[in-house]
Amino acid sequence: MTSPSKSRAKGSALGALARRPETGSLLGFAVVFAFFAMLGGPVFMGAPGWSSWLNIAAEVGIIALPVGLLMISGEFDISVGSIVPASSMMTAMLSGHYELPALVGIAGGLSVGLIVGYVNGVLVSRTSIPSLIVTIGVMFSVMGLTLGFAVLLKGSTSVSYVPDALTKSLLGQFINGMFNVSILWWLGFVAVFFFALHLSPFGNWIFALGGDRQSARNAGIPTSRVTIGLFMASGFCAAFVGVAQVMTYQQANVAGGQAFIFNSIMCVVIGGVLLTGGAGSIIGIVLGTMTFAVVNQGIFFAAMDPNVGSIIIGALLLAAVISNDGFRSLTLRAAAK
Amino acid sequence: MISVLLRRPAAASILSLFGVLAFYVLVGGVELDKLFNAASWLNYAARIGIVALPVGLLMISGEIDISIGAMIPAGAMTIAIISGYYGMPMVFGIAGALCVGVAVGLINGILAVRTNVPSLIITLATLVGMQGVVLASSKLLTGSASVPLTAPVWAKTLLGNLMFGGSHQVLIIWWVVFAIIFWFVLHQSRYGNWIYAMGGDKPSARNAGIPVNRMTILLFVLTSTSAAFVGICHAILFNSAQVSGGMNDIFNIIVSVVVGGVLLTGGFGSIAGVFVGTLTFAIVNKGIDFTTIDRNWSNLIIGVMLLLAVAMNESFRKVALGAIKRKPKPNAPKQA
Amino acid sequence: MKFTKSILVAATAAMLSTGALAQDIAVIAGSVEDAFMDKIKKGVDDATHMVVANGGSVQYLRTQNYENFGPDLVTLINQAVAQGVDGIAIPVWVPDAQIPALQAAAGEGIKIMQYNSGLPVKDDIGALNYFGSDEYAAGFGGGKYLAEKGAKHILCHIQVPGAINLEERCRGVTDGATAAGAKVTVLNTPPNLDGDVTGTAEALKAEFIGDDSIDAMVSCADFGAAAGANAVEQTGANVMVSAFDFSPATLDRIKAGTQTMAIDQQPYLQGFLATSMLFAHLKFGTEISTDPVLTGPAIVDASNVDAVVAGAALGAR
Repeated sequence: MTSPSKSRAKGSALGALARRPETGSLLGFAVVFAFFAMLGGPVFMGAPGWSSWLNIAAEVGIIALPVGLLMISGEFDISVGSIVPASSMMTAMLSGHYELPALVGIAGGLSVGLIVGYVNGVLVSRTSIPSLIVTIGVMFSVMGLTLGFAVLLKGSTSVSYVPDALTKSLLGQFINGMFNVSILWWLGFVAVFFFALHLSPFGNWIFALGGDRQSARNAGIPTSRVTIGLFMASGFCAAFVGVAQVMTYQQANVAGGQAFIFNSIMCVVIGGVLLTGGAGSIIGIVLGTMTFAVVNQGIFFAAMDPNVGSIIIGALLLAAVISNDGFRSLTLRAAAK
Repeated sequence: MISVLLRRPAAASILSLFGVLAFYVLVGGVELDKLFNAASWLNYAARIGIVALPVGLLMISGEIDISIGAMIPAGAMTIAIISGYYGMPMVFGIAGALCVGVAVGLINGILAVRTNVPSLIITLATLVGMQGVVLASSKLLTGSASVPLTAPVWAKTLLGNLMFGGSHQVLIIWWVVFAIIFWFVLHQSRYGNWIYAMGGDKPSARNAGIPVNRMTILLFVLTSTSAAFVGICHAILFNSAQVSGGMNDIFNIIVSVVVGGVLLTGGFGSIAGVFVGTLTFAIVNKGIDFTTIDRNWSNLIIGVMLLLAVAMNESFRKVALGAIKRKPKPNAPKQA
Repeated sequence: MKFTKSILVAATAAMLSTGALAQDIAVIAGSVEDAFMDKIKKGVDDATHMVVANGGSVQYLRTQNYENFGPDLVTLINQAVAQGVDGIAIPVWVPDAQIPALQAAAGEGIKIMQYNSGLPVKDDIGALNYFGSDEYAAGFGGGKYLAEKGAKHILCHIQVPGAINLEERCRGVTDGATAAGAKVTVLNTPPNLDGDVTGTAEALKAEFIGDDSIDAMVSCADFGAAAGANAVEQTGANVMVSAFDFSPATLDRIKAGTQTMAIDQQPYLQGFLATSMLFAHLKFGTEISTDPVLTGPAIVDASNVDAVVAGAALGAR
């Protein structure tokens, strides 16, 4: 194995820029955006177009952030797909069915995410089972619990809830009529995660974990605590999206979160985080999320067959990954010099 | 004696199977003779199992393939478009669908050996891409996302018939045959040793003269072609093909393989284990209709069973590896 | 509670199945995650009381989800046959796959009762009767309603491309609206948006902005109305929102005025009638002279929403 050096490679400013993990994702975003701006015309470039893809990006982006952090540390979280409906069901049950105050419902929904995340984290850090398998198992269990309890308590798999004006304005309002307030929340989450990954010591721990867990532990990093914390973060963020969905659409269903599993991973990968962990950045994840959302929404503004969107995402994913792979080997080679 | 048994990769899956049966009998009040006479879970096991076998080999060699989720509907749609919509002979339809499988497998395999991108991401890309390709081309060619297909008698007999009084699918026989072939390949031929070696440590496998790249590509072709094969059989049996997401098939197949004792990180597992793991999963999923347990809880049972089975696998493997000092995992390159 | 009840039912069934006079029936339905199917279940549950009181048994079989739907339904049919039932009540959603299996079941002397879906293929499976709505008629009624409310250009949203019953709904909407002088555009959203309210809302928004002559929409899915109401809220477009079927949230929207109407097919009646009438035929030899029996369309709008809310609270609407 190559012995990686800790010091950042020194080179020309341009070279350093090309080696930054975000560069590929920025290029990808620019190309995709230009493509759909051309086809979608002024409508796509105006407020409707921007709000359209930003609304989508905010939802998947809030989940992609912690999922990306987990991937940097070398772990996966598949269970987010079951946490979104579970938390929205919890909120709607508490506040809608049992008519408790909105705050109780929100707290209940969010704690679902924290608890599931805690279980994931403990199972992953205490056993040697890969996180992919642990979170698949937890996903099935949470799906079963959500469905079972919804039918047991409510007799239906769909619950409605009409939030009060204040709650709605905080979590489910549209600013300027079109921009979902969750975009602001997303930005807030971005700031928090940026601080955590790039400015706090916690970030170095995450990178170290993804690089080599054993030596990270030897270096005195509380690896289990970091892992559990990260899984709780992803559970929390998924639950947040679930709660915000209840406030926006005033209903909760037991199914429907599965798309978030692979969508969040795709955003992260397009954003340049390698699955093996140890590299990546928050800016990259944000760019990846934006690219993903522009393709998914641009399709409708460009009046193309919506199914072509999947083909573009697939191709983009491969292109992004291969080019990032190129960047990565470039960086490693520079570091080895 | 017991410890020898426990060391086998299939041990945990056999225990899981008995555990699930015991649970269904004691808590669910299931009548075993009724369950064993029913075809539903066996048909389902065959559907999952034919894909789970090559996926098991692939995972033993240290890779994963999630594009199978798109390949089952892709195989079904291809044969339905060629032989159903365009009315060409069934042979062309079957060949065409298998070719699609081989092509996607080649793409997956070549990308997996040419880049150092993890196969999960490569196959995630082909999964999404193929979902789009299948739907867009079906709409383009036939104007619909659901295509009918009428199969001649020979194709029905060979690939799509029901046996034993009309509820067991012929797919079950194919599954058993494939299992025997894969058992032979993995446990009796030198290819098996290669696959284990690749899953253990790729560079040293390569140094030992094993054609790692060729084997990897071959395994990817096997998984996606088997998935296309299952799609073909379903299209012939049910006289139609529909586009579907296939998301659940991905997880169901991975769960079957993992319950069967295959190590996700490679190097450990057996065909017998995958076979029993698939049976166990099928009984959990389809057998629940024979119990008094509400179907709503089936996902919970699957989740708990998976976690218990994997935990058993882990502890048994530790017993098995007992004295042998564990080789440290090769480190991923750190960020420079 | 429910658990002990089902054990009792199973035990009764086991005891009675030794005698030749017990009438055991299987009711096959869609995904356990589908709220629409909960209302059918309520109907089946209520009918089960009558069946059990007369010495029969009811088995309620559902698929886990809608992927691999055709094969899953055939699996359930075969399973019911293997368990030796005397009758099967079932919707026909995937005719190509289901018809041969149902014909085989009929060949073994099992009576078939059809409900909810597949009226055009009723004769192919030799069903006793049909309880449900005619998709085309439901669409026609909905299209006519919107056009008479003043709609000039209606968007008909299909969430699962290729689903024949949904295409039939939009065909009905088209004819009903055209007859009343309005125009209809059909929008197919890709299957990966099925159930995704945010994605569908943004897709609908793009349509509303792209063509400002659209002044009404009808979605084949209940969640499509949530998405539509959201798209209207975002764009401020003057679009009447409506959908086939409804959930509790739909009723909230109709009350609040953000949704114009929902086209109901009364699933409670479908489950209740299909189960009880199948059993009555097996046990008492009854026949219904009305054939098919249509349970819809029944339009739910501001004029009757309060009565529906009361029924919904009891799980039957």
